[in-house]
Amino acid sequence: MGFGFLHRHRGSTAYLLLAPGMLFLVVFFLVPLGFLAYQSLESGSIDFGYAFTWAWDNYSSAITGYGTQFKRSFAYAGIATAIALLVSYPVAYWIAFRGGRWKNLLLLCIVAPFFVTYLIRTLAWQTILSDDGLIVRTLTDMHILSPGGRLLATGTAVVAGITYNFLPFMALPLYVSLEQIDQTLIEAAEDLYASKWTAFFRVTFPLSLPGVVAGTLLTFIPAAGDFINAQLLGSTTNHMIGNVINSKYNELIDYPAAAAMSFILMAIILALVLIYARAVGSEKLTG
Amino acid sequence: MTDQITRRVFLRRAAASGSILTVPGLLAACGGGKSSPGTTGDTTSHQLAKTLHFSNWTLYIDNKPGGRHPSLEQFQKKYGVHVDYREDINDNPTFFSKIEPDLQRGQPTGRDIIVMTDNSRYPSLLIQKGWVEKLDKSAIPNMKNLIPQQRHPNWDPNRDYSLPWQSGFTGIGWNEKLTDPVTSMGDLLGNKKLKGKVGLLTEFADTLALVMAYNGDDPSHVTDQTFNRAIDTIQKAVDSGQIRQFYGNDYAGALSSGDLVATMAWSGDIVQLQADNSHLKWQLPDTGGDIWTDNMLIPKGGNVYTASVYMNFVYEPKIAAEIEDYVNYVCPVQGAKEVLVKEDPSIANNPLIFPTKKMLDNVHTIDPKALNNQKYQTTWQNLTSA
Amino acid sequence: MTSVAAEAGRTRPNALSRAWAFVLRHVLTVYSLLFFVYLMLPIAVVIAFSFNHPTGRFNYTWRGFTWDNWLHWNAVPGIQSAITLSLEIALFASIVATALGTLIALALVRYGFRGRGTTNLIIFLPLSTPEIVLGASLATLFLHSASYGLSIPFGFWTILIAHIMFCISFAVVTVKARLIGFDRHLEEAAMDLGANEWTTFIKVTLPLIAPAILAALLLCFAISVDDFVVTYFNAGNQVTFPIFVWGAARVATPPQINVIGTAIFGIAVTLMLINVFIQNRRSKQA
Repeated sequence: MGFGFLHRHRGSTAYLLLAPGMLFLVVFFLVPLGFLAYQSLESGSIDFGYAFTWAWDNYSSAITGYGTQFKRSFAYAGIATAIALLVSYPVAYWIAFRGGRWKNLLLLCIVAPFFVTYLIRTLAWQTILSDDGLIVRTLTDMHILSPGGRLLATGTAVVAGITYNFLPFMALPLYVSLEQIDQTLIEAAEDLYASKWTAFFRVTFPLSLPGVVAGTLLTFIPAAGDFINAQLLGSTTNHMIGNVINSKYNELIDYPAAAAMSFILMAIILALVLIYARAVGSEKLTG
Repeated sequence: MTDQITRRVFLRRAAASGSILTVPGLLAACGGGKSSPGTTGDTTSHQLAKTLHFSNWTLYIDNKPGGRHPSLEQFQKKYGVHVDYREDINDNPTFFSKIEPDLQRGQPTGRDIIVMTDNSRYPSLLIQKGWVEKLDKSAIPNMKNLIPQQRHPNWDPNRDYSLPWQSGFTGIGWNEKLTDPVTSMGDLLGNKKLKGKVGLLTEFADTLALVMAYNGDDPSHVTDQTFNRAIDTIQKAVDSGQIRQFYGNDYAGALSSGDLVATMAWSGDIVQLQADNSHLKWQLPDTGGDIWTDNMLIPKGGNVYTASVYMNFVYEPKIAAEIEDYVNYVCPVQGAKEVLVKEDPSIANNPLIFPTKKMLDNVHTIDPKALNNQKYQTTWQNLTSA
Repeated sequence: MTSVAAEAGRTRPNALSRAWAFVLRHVLTVYSLLFFVYLMLPIAVVIAFSFNHPTGRFNYTWRGFTWDNWLHWNAVPGIQSAITLSLEIALFASIVATALGTLIALALVRYGFRGRGTTNLIIFLPLSTPEIVLGASLATLFLHSASYGLSIPFGFWTILIAHIMFCISFAVVTVKARLIGFDRHLEEAAMDLGANEWTTFIKVTLPLIAPAILAALLLCFAISVDDFVVTYFNAGNQVTFPIFVWGAARVATPPQINVIGTAIFGIAVTLMLINVFIQNRRSKQA
């Protein structure tokens, strides 16, 4: 592709640059969503085939039939996001302000575990949390877990798995926003306010908000749609909406129900994102 | 061999990827990316294909270190047909949904033989929809070795489309190091000592048959009333925290690692799992277990003749005995027992492989009508994944 | 370095707050180190169990050390073709996605055009859509394709398309971040010296954004190699490495899975270490 001959037509250069990628996204992202929408209004069965009938009741029966799983998904994702934020903020802070020349190496340590395949990582947690494993035994000895108690196949294990698996999505944006803060601002704040904590909450934390917003979104969104952790670390009573969509689509071949649930999931996520963005006042979401 | 194939496919794709951004190029490439087995649906051809594409369940054939399958090697030697053996069936619904799009569109599935369980709805659904080929019985004289009780299943009365691969029992497996013997469903679903350490099966028919028999209802004739009673029994066990999880094949790992103390389990699995954990035991529950059969089928577009020749091959008692010696499920081939009596008497006398009449009297089969009942299926799915 | 300077330059030395700062600093350090232990815990398990010698099907209990799994890493049927397919897909997907993404990023940063908001939204949406929805919607497109006369069978091409689709946005974001902080004066200087736009792009722009392009390539590669959910919906008969793990884990966990997992981890970390090393040297020189 040549740019030179386009010199005098800057406007069209932009469109030429955009065209291939955007075309791809339109055809393989937007159009499929359209097909999914269409399918969510079909009715029928695998025996007799599905036909488009404006079957809005797919949506209502998804909500009435699987409200529990929807609520559970957002609850698990919310808790996991909050824990991930609390757990990784101090570390991001430490790397950004105390990392010195080790910064890059420490960042690598945060990212490195995530080059082990997602499923293998989660299976490793299965081994670690198993009833016979070290952690369960220690917690039982410390009377934190009652005898015969377990971690695996509980909601705790699912939330722990989600927290772990999406941690870099939280830690990296936090680091980036903390790292960009001008040190002299913090020094000035520490001079101005009596305690370091006040300085932190009045200056450092607000300045790191873009990272908090990005991190929480990047964690919450994939977490809400996840089904791997619930499948491998949870029990039947911990299934999330992802498990239901997966089983409707890939086991029962009930495409319309799966499609309707996908749309509800996406709509709720987008709504939450908008509310959240408004609340935080960040308009950098799409920037 | 496979390496070369992979490389060739790789190069072809690499060449094609140059044109990926143009739609016609993409479409042409899509057509070429698919491996199509032999001739398409040509039932009259009596020519063997070069390769037989065989999809089976995991750990369901003779196995030697390094992933070798001696019986398949013998087949290749005898007929010159390479077997592309894939262990890609984990459970009936997922596998069916994987081949359904191809069958729906009248495209070959890339397979000549698939294996599906008769206590799922899928074998009969495949026949109803016309998505399986008729066997070439002229190529399967060994069909005479099929044990009599398997010759006329109600969903394929003359075995026109299917031939059993193995049968098995669903019963209770337990870890004798961690519990007293668990031999009744009442114990499994209610014994407080097992709380949170009990597994049930996601397969609708398995769990339902055992629970209905426990409730004193007849699994071969399901009514709304008996169905709901069974669901209530299971729901109560789930709500009380007795049940850890509903499992497919994956109960095996949890049982051998000790996360499960007792679980509904398939007969042959436990024998194989004793290599992991020697404390595992298995028995039919006192109120009766469940028997099922996995059937070889030829999906539409598969090479009928080559598949039929292979079926004939595994129905030779000697070959069946070889496979049995490893898989430990119930053998559908007459004469295999006689071969094993000489070669491996411990297997020949194992009632899990050649069951006694007493065992066969204590097993049920599920009502096929219940399998096709959409309402039951939905209720079941909501129970197992809520 | 800077924090030490800040400490020294403090105008109101206060013994209490200093002591507090000392404790705080060390608490933070200890906490951070514990955090890294937590991060590495499952990885250590994966690596250790790649050397296990299980007696049966499952690799859950430690039975003894062996090199066998590494020497015979492909002894499990299907594992070699699965990893080959995953690498092929990741290679093609990352190249195509990075190329397309770089062009979009250039357009977004360098040009004013109508429809920028829409463009941004279309880039942003895939990132904020759960994978399961991406997977299901794309599979639905391929399923319906037959009724429009283009029958696209599930397999290599559907996986590749899916991976390119979810990688593009990541590539755009990565390259864009670099382009924004980029000094346009260099390009203007080149143009002033008589270079045309194309020469400027090749000789000035491209080398400057090369690290970002490389980063985008690596990111896309990593995301693609690791993807399970979207692939699971669109793979048909094809088995990528994550799909292999998913299927295998239900009935057996051969230690070879850990071997491959460890190998991918090792290669990625080595590449990143080299990168860190080079960056550190550069910043020292600068």
